[in-house]
Amino acid sequence: MRRVSAAVLAALGAFALTSTASAQAASDKAVPDKVRIGYAISKTGPFTGGASITTLPVYQLWVKEVNAAGGLKIGDRRVPIEVVEYDDRSNSEEAIKAIERLASQDKVDFILPPWSTGLNLAVGPILNRLGYPHLAVTTNTNRAPELAKRWPNASFWLGLPSDISVEMVAVLKTLRDQGKIGPTVAMIAVSDQFGIELSTAARDAFGKAGFKLAYDKSYPAGTQDMQPMLKDAMATSPDVFVSFSYPPDTLAVTDAAKVLSFNPKVFFTGVGTAFPLFKQRFGGNAEGVMGIGGWNAESPRLKDYLERHKAGVGREPDRWANPITFASLQALQQAIERVGVDRAAVVKELQSGTFDTIIGTVKLEGGLLKDVWAVGQWQNGEFYGIAPSKKDGARAAIVPKPSWGP
Amino acid sequence: MSAILRYGPAALVSGTLAALALVPLLGSDYHVALAVAVLSYIVLATAWALFSGPTGYVSLATVAFFGIGAYTVAVLGEVLPWPVVLLVAALIGLVVALVVGLSTLRLSGIYFVVFSFGLAELIRQLVTWYEVNVGRSVGRYVFLDIGQTAIFWQLFGLAVAVFVVGWLVRRSRLGLALQVIGEDETVARHCGIDTTRAKLALFAVSSVFITVTGAVMAPRWTYIDPAIAFNPLVSFQVVVMALLGGAGVLYGPLLGAVPLVLLFDVIGANFPNHFSILLGLVFVVVVYGLPRGVAGLLGRANSIEHRAGPPSHRVRGEGGSPRSGETGEGASRGYADAPSPGSHASSVRSDLSPRAGRRETCLDVSGEPLLEIVDLSKSFGGVRAVDGVSFQVARGSIVGLIGPNGSGKTTALNLISGLIPPRGGAIRFDGAEITGLRSDRIVHRGIARTFQLVRVLDELTCADNVMAAIAFRRHPSWGEKARHRAATLLARVGLAGRDEEPAGRLTYIDSKRLELARALALDPKLLLLDEWLAGLNPTELQEGIALIASLKRDGLTIVMVEHVMDAIRSLCDRCVVMNTGRTIADGGTAEVLAAPEVVRAYLGGGDADD
Amino acid sequence: MLLVDILLSGLILGGMYALTAMGLTLQYGVARILNLAYGEVMVAAAFTAYVLFTGAAVVPLLGLLLVLPLAFAANWAIYRVMLVPLVRRARTRAALETDSILATFGLLFVLQGIGFVIFGGQYYGYAYLSAPVSILGTTVAVNRLVALGFAAVLAVGLYWLLTRTRTGTAIRAVAVNPDAARLVAIDVQTIAGLAFAAGGALCAAGGVLVSMFLTFNAAMGVLFTMKALIVVIMGGVGNLLGALAAGLLLGLIETAVARLVDPGLTLAANYALFLGVLLVRPTGLFGRPAR
Repeated sequence: MRRVSAAVLAALGAFALTSTASAQAASDKAVPDKVRIGYAISKTGPFTGGASITTLPVYQLWVKEVNAAGGLKIGDRRVPIEVVEYDDRSNSEEAIKAIERLASQDKVDFILPPWSTGLNLAVGPILNRLGYPHLAVTTNTNRAPELAKRWPNASFWLGLPSDISVEMVAVLKTLRDQGKIGPTVAMIAVSDQFGIELSTAARDAFGKAGFKLAYDKSYPAGTQDMQPMLKDAMATSPDVFVSFSYPPDTLAVTDAAKVLSFNPKVFFTGVGTAFPLFKQRFGGNAEGVMGIGGWNAESPRLKDYLERHKAGVGREPDRWANPITFASLQALQQAIERVGVDRAAVVKELQSGTFDTIIGTVKLEGGLLKDVWAVGQWQNGEFYGIAPSKKDGARAAIVPKPSWGP
Repeated sequence: MSAILRYGPAALVSGTLAALALVPLLGSDYHVALAVAVLSYIVLATAWALFSGPTGYVSLATVAFFGIGAYTVAVLGEVLPWPVVLLVAALIGLVVALVVGLSTLRLSGIYFVVFSFGLAELIRQLVTWYEVNVGRSVGRYVFLDIGQTAIFWQLFGLAVAVFVVGWLVRRSRLGLALQVIGEDETVARHCGIDTTRAKLALFAVSSVFITVTGAVMAPRWTYIDPAIAFNPLVSFQVVVMALLGGAGVLYGPLLGAVPLVLLFDVIGANFPNHFSILLGLVFVVVVYGLPRGVAGLLGRANSIEHRAGPPSHRVRGEGGSPRSGETGEGASRGYADAPSPGSHASSVRSDLSPRAGRRETCLDVSGEPLLEIVDLSKSFGGVRAVDGVSFQVARGSIVGLIGPNGSGKTTALNLISGLIPPRGGAIRFDGAEITGLRSDRIVHRGIARTFQLVRVLDELTCADNVMAAIAFRRHPSWGEKARHRAATLLARVGLAGRDEEPAGRLTYIDSKRLELARALALDPKLLLLDEWLAGLNPTELQEGIALIASLKRDGLTIVMVEHVMDAIRSLCDRCVVMNTGRTIADGGTAEVLAAPEVVRAYLGGGDADD
Repeated sequence: MLLVDILLSGLILGGMYALTAMGLTLQYGVARILNLAYGEVMVAAAFTAYVLFTGAAVVPLLGLLLVLPLAFAANWAIYRVMLVPLVRRARTRAALETDSILATFGLLFVLQGIGFVIFGGQYYGYAYLSAPVSILGTTVAVNRLVALGFAAVLAVGLYWLLTRTRTGTAIRAVAVNPDAARLVAIDVQTIAGLAFAAGGALCAAGGVLVSMFLTFNAAMGVLFTMKALIVVIMGGVGNLLGALAAGLLLGLIETAVARLVDPGLTLAANYALFLGVLLVRPTGLFGRPAR
């Protein structure tokens, strides 16, 4: 019996502890002497890899820079940011709990989003109910327009998967029209929502553009040997190889292609192609590889950002969602500085305002940022954006990709 | 004190639930979110332990059912009314549980553990493949207007239900059956329990609860894909919570789930960057510091092993050694007695010295024999343990099955009682063929047995040991009547008034008595005794012989494997002598014992040497 | 041609599975510790190889010389400090199984947490011996081939040690029956400790070798543990050759399904094969019938 009662006591004690530990009253909103910003991000579990390249370092860098400048400029005062951070353990339920905690226990003024489509959608309804602006940057789904209508507080920043696929096919079509490549395509995709939405859109676009899909398969996440698929893809002698895959798979696919001397004229992989790890791993062999994302490396702001990121985080950023994440924070910052810490006003400002960010001037349309890079390519050790071609700084694609070196 | 013991668990469970019920009324949204987590893990861990606690099967398939529930909502949530969705989820969970249970429950120990894990992964892979190739999209969106508080109350109802069901099951025949299975599956079958059905029933109940929990939780996440719905971590957390709390008792998992969920939360909230390290350390400390926390399972877990005899004689069942009483006398003999095989031979030899054998009058009821064995055979590897054995047992008689160690006697009994299937030959009992039937079916035909190495259920009381047989024999009874019958039987074997004593505390001889009472409780026509008289002192031996004689007077037919020659001479009407798997003599006890080939076999001539 | 291709690629992939599982079969089969932190040890070895290669330009195969003894010592220490108290406390094998699951579950979190603190959550990887070599007309990667070679050498070497040496015989005796082993004056705890440490070293070897071609991060240990567990159980607990056979079989079927059926079904086929084997042989390919 003693053990039982001890356990009960412990449980009650723990409960009391959780309820009181962080019940710190938020300061008066009208005259804030600090702005509390909270986030729950994957610090453990399978999403850690993505979160710690694209999202978490950006949050830390931004807070550091804002506070170094004295804080957010509200009215004529500088108000420092105070951060509350949790680990969502790559788990929807934990993410929800953490958001509830940030809102009702920590009473933070703003909440930054978690990483990945799944977690952002999981916390979407709560953030909407509580009226927090939701910068769902790393959410990549074709249903984004519908979600943006459902949750007016939410904004989506990566473009739609279908846009990425359509832009990719547009680039390829141009190349074909120029006679640089033939019509045969081999495509593989990881079998989760990300891979399937991209490949489904690409399949349609390829069909419409008159390409021939000679090999078209999906593979389960966690596959450790890409060679079998690549060999079958290779057997169709494609002009274009497309792999919609996650970072570890992207590296494995590229590695396997190199080993097999699989040299299609266009080699497109991603997500993960835009990671600094890709360049580090493949060095000169990265040259000519296309992937999702990209940036205008000649832009002085991004050059500056690259340096700040290297200095502040200790490594380079990826060239897709990372700068966009930073831009979303800049937009948030400017919105707060324009209208104060009134969340409803900030939501409204974010949706309608125009913001000056490291990726240029940003203006959301229907909750979506549409003007983003879809396709990039490694050229001279930098991952330049090549499509949409109308974007400022878009480079011409280099085709064919040089053959793999040793 | 007894009142606390009696009502403590009920108070603990209802107190915890009552405290949780206050959360939506008093707490913030965050507290409700936390309470949802606590409740969901209480339901999951309790449902898990409903099956795994008593049986000792550690299942990692929790998330398979949880995910099935969640996916059912993802697919049907916007199509059907909510209660119907839950019902469909429960039905799907039930069907999957039955299919899975039928195919897997014959695995044991770690093989079951990893199998169940593989199963969850397989289901996840298949769902993914289906969604990719048929649905053309992997993630699904669940936009249901079911708020956090509604989810809380649904989980609350589920928690109440799981405790009520658990309580009812523990009080029922099914509950007793699972306890017996958990302790010793062989004994369970020899009590007439259809172990597969019992396990399947509870596995299904447990799985349905888990499935419905998944369904109830799903609207919370808005977006569901296989990685979210089938996250294997859920299975591990459930196991860990149930084990820490103690899976052996109904309220145990609650004691694990509540503190662990809160602990996860406290650590996660206060040390987000060192969550893993701290959690791990706390975990290790708990494991070392709270060994009794897992007491419930520690007691049950070795149910996977098969127990035999009092502790000093217990076979650990490890490695490749044949299990006691199953694969032949030679192997088990080495465990049960001192390693020197000579000790037995010598005692047998002295028994064989010519002495005037008493022979009781034998009432050979004419007509067809009760048991007829024809050309029975069984091999283990290359060893022919039973090699073309044939004999008959007349109704109302006692037949001695004798022979040197390793001659195949116990194997013959095992074949008759259905413990192992024969390779060839036929067994006819009471006019019908029973060859190859399962033990529980054979028990229902009217054959009961004791084991060479006593197998009583240590964790159960003497009365419950007997009750298990009464509750699952051919014409079962339950409740007061059964309890009364158990007491009578215990008194008959000399254990009067010891009904509530745990069987594990009995002396060797008393556990033999208990085992006999359990066999008698099955109301058998034929009783198989495997060296029931071995190891008794002279007084006990006389009592034992008198007891067996009285059973015969009651009309029971008995086959006894025995080495005690006095008993054989005084009790047996006929004897069948085996050596190296064959019958070498069959006839009246006195003649058989005098036959030269029998004497030679016992004296260790030829190949009987072991 | 396709057949040779499938066979060779399948064997190479299977060799990796076997390589990553052999240590676990030793730890679980002999020392009776179901080590859930197994994959974290592997990841730790992979990180060590990464640091040695990128930081000190020590090639992984040379790094093995450092990693192996280190892992042996560390695992020996883990066994003596963490697990011996549990072994002493356990009344039965099942009790030890429960305790070791719980304790190593804790260890898993600690090791993973340390990994996160040092390396963060990012992916790591480097290229070493990532060159093609042609065998029987089939192109394979040198680093994967090397890993297969090591798997074979380690399996055969260990098998030889276990069957031909005195200590090996003692290890097998403990695996079969610790109680009986005690009766013939085998120091069961020392032998079990040795087996656990050797298993840990094998596991680390696996980690170093796969780091040559897999991308990894601190969160990935669990995946390795799970795969290893499947291989170990399918092969039969404690049976090195069983682990080798199971690993190769899984690799073969995965490759065959990818080439002949649908790459989307590879893992499903793997699990189906595993479940099928257990249904036919409830104690694995080479498992002993009892228990």
